[in-house]
Amino acid sequence: MLQEESSKVTRMIILGPAANISQPELVRKLQMMELPLTIKSTCYGAVINGEESVVNKAVEDVRNLDYCNIFTKDRGFPPGDPRRCRAKRGGAREGFHQLEKEFEILGFVSEALENPKKVNLKKPKKVSVDTFKQIAEECEK
Amino acid sequence: MKNAIFPPNSLILADLVERRGHEALVLQKEIRKRVTDVEIDSPPLNITEEEPIKGLKYAAIEVPSGVRGRMAIFGPLIDAAEAAIIMEDAPFGFGCIGCARTNELSMFCLRKRGIPLLELHYPTTREETMEVVNKINTFLDGLEEEGE
Repeated sequence: MLQEESSKVTRMIILGPAANISQPELVRKLQMMELPLTIKSTCYGAVINGEESVVNKAVEDVRNLDYCNIFTKDRGFPPGDPRRCRAKRGGAREGFHQLEKEFEILGFVSEALENPKKVNLKKPKKVSVDTFKQIAEECEK
Repeated sequence: MKNAIFPPNSLILADLVERRGHEALVLQKEIRKRVTDVEIDSPPLNITEEEPIKGLKYAAIEVPSGVRGRMAIFGPLIDAAEAAIIMEDAPFGFGCIGCARTNELSMFCLRKRGIPLLELHYPTTREETMEVVNKINTFLDGLEEEGE
């Protein structure tokens, strides 16, 4: 059983604040896919566990539901793992605090994805002394 | 292209990298190997005494074992990276990324690799977030062009 477990991957599906589907809807959509997955419903979305190819397919399909507002992230521990699950330990698991923090700007990330812009990554060059002098002289006039 | 991200467990960075068709080298993949490994049968232990020894590749013996243990997990990700995105001043420091010295060492190792690198500051406002996302997307698109 353990050997089977080690070949599986877990992914978290997180709904952005402006997502046009709700968390129960997301879980229902995942169940309707009829893929061999373990689906755990969570407050931020869902956690899915299964073979890598199946999980990737599910993630791709789920993303298409609302491309800019559905985010996914890998998770090391399988869902409900007693080492991490709060039902056994009490209190939120460590990763949740981080998720909470990142969720604060997730709405802006969605907005940026909806309105993409090309930006320049090169640092602007320093103004030469002569140009600076010229500007200063012009300002003095 | 394999992209290392820092913080290595960031949702935003990992998601943006994957959206552009690249592979995000995230911490969780390394953790998964350790926690679902058939050899480990005592549940709370996902770091064994082997890790600080493996960490010697990245940090000297005088460095605390906590840093070396963490570097044993971060190190293979840094080695495998073909490009990297570093987000400094991230407000979170929980779990594996809760060690400031390891974070400094990881960023140093990434900078030392000489791979295409994008350095950013963690955004806090709408404008900053928009700029950061656009910069990441432009950087990732640039990598595709370089690859071709």
